[in-house]
Amino acid sequence: MRLLQTFSTSIGTKILIAVTGLGLTVFLLTHLAGNLLFLAGPDAFNRYAHTLTSNPLIYVAEAGLLAVFFVHIAKTLSNYLANRAARPVAYTTHRWAKTKNPASRKSWASTTMVVTGSIMALFVVTHLQTFKFGPVYEGADGIRDLYRLQMEIFGQPAYVVFYLMAMALIFSHLWHGIVSATQSLGWYHPQWTPRVIVAGRVLTALIAGGFFMIPIYTFLLSRSAQ
Amino acid sequence: MAMTITLNVWRQAGPSAPGRFESYTSDKVHPDMSFLEMLDVVNDDLIRAGKDPIAFDSDCREGICGSCGLVIDGIPHGPDPGATTCQVHMRRFRNGDTITIEPWRAKAFPVIKDLVVDRTAFDRIIAAGGYVSMNVGGAPDGNSVPVPKELADLAMDNAQCIGCGACVAACKNAAAHLFTSAKITHLGVLPQGEPERYRRAAAMVEQMDAEGFGSCSNEGECEAVCPKQISIASIARMNRDFMRAATSK
Repeated sequence: MRLLQTFSTSIGTKILIAVTGLGLTVFLLTHLAGNLLFLAGPDAFNRYAHTLTSNPLIYVAEAGLLAVFFVHIAKTLSNYLANRAARPVAYTTHRWAKTKNPASRKSWASTTMVVTGSIMALFVVTHLQTFKFGPVYEGADGIRDLYRLQMEIFGQPAYVVFYLMAMALIFSHLWHGIVSATQSLGWYHPQWTPRVIVAGRVLTALIAGGFFMIPIYTFLLSRSAQ
Repeated sequence: MAMTITLNVWRQAGPSAPGRFESYTSDKVHPDMSFLEMLDVVNDDLIRAGKDPIAFDSDCREGICGSCGLVIDGIPHGPDPGATTCQVHMRRFRNGDTITIEPWRAKAFPVIKDLVVDRTAFDRIIAAGGYVSMNVGGAPDGNSVPVPKELADLAMDNAQCIGCGACVAACKNAAAHLFTSAKITHLGVLPQGEPERYRRAAAMVEQMDAEGFGSCSNEGECEAVCPKQISIASIARMNRDFMRAATSK
């Protein structure tokens, strides 16, 4: 079976969405780890950002990340349209089957994946505009002072609220996404899957919690510095 | 004591005719009637009044044939877990209730009439699976083909699938993954079906897609409505078998 043909089937499509989704989750973890250096102060944070962006390999990594984003979004969209076409006449009355049998994993998170994902894609664009392509302040040792920019941005309550809302969407998306990806990849074990579900949700809480903390911490820090 | 029940039923004269809901009230419903017996009573009155009775599928009426299947108040096969429509009893409802009844809704299951849908797409998925290799001739000696207990149980659990289509009806994507994976599993894990295991998985998945079913969002609504409570573990196994088929050719 040719590769292209395989990945255009319903299962192949979901496998690609799962692999790219898990890839983006790993990216979020590294992104969070880097962001947490903000807690260590301006020197550590700015030097980390400089080291990261001054390495020529960053362009390869960025191109790879962009490709992963593109595949995740493009396959999800084609999948969404195919799924819509599979039920041309909607039910007049529809209730979650979970109400009669808790075996179902359906949740608000799982039913809004396309919505949360679409808003997150738009968020990524504004996020890059705000930080990566935002104002460049020169620091004391000649490198970009991202610390100052972050203090300025999250010193504004509107930005903090906006970011907290965006992180709530990430929480919702990962709540279903991480566990769903494992099932798409065929990982199911009667003893291990219940633990994987818990682990996936703990990981979701850690990622979203970490990202929740950063704008709040920065806001409080900027207020106390005033 | 008789109950009074109002039904809101989907009526559709034929595959291309526009459908609509019609309301019927009966005061002859008994709590001990099955859901299908209640429909028989309503139909009896419709026929006596010279009207077209409500068309619905049924055969064994004991939960093993897979013919019946209605979306009752928004849930395939109604309110009871592990039961088909014919196993739902009117005592599950209250006197004076209004019940909405719709057919399975999926592009691959076109409505034939009223609540009857065409599920031959499932037959074509099974046919795409092809043959199972086994020796012909005299019956083999007992225990000459050893099957571990766990695999025999797994095969039997999946062979319970009666092809009713509730999994498709409950899935937000109208996906047939639970059905197809049950069929793939019950043959693939036994020595008799093992030789063609991966080729069969690929062929059945290809046919499933060609029929116009959706993809799996891993919500497990299918497992929740399955009258035989087949686990979505089978879907994970199908995905593994499919990947194995894709990478081994």
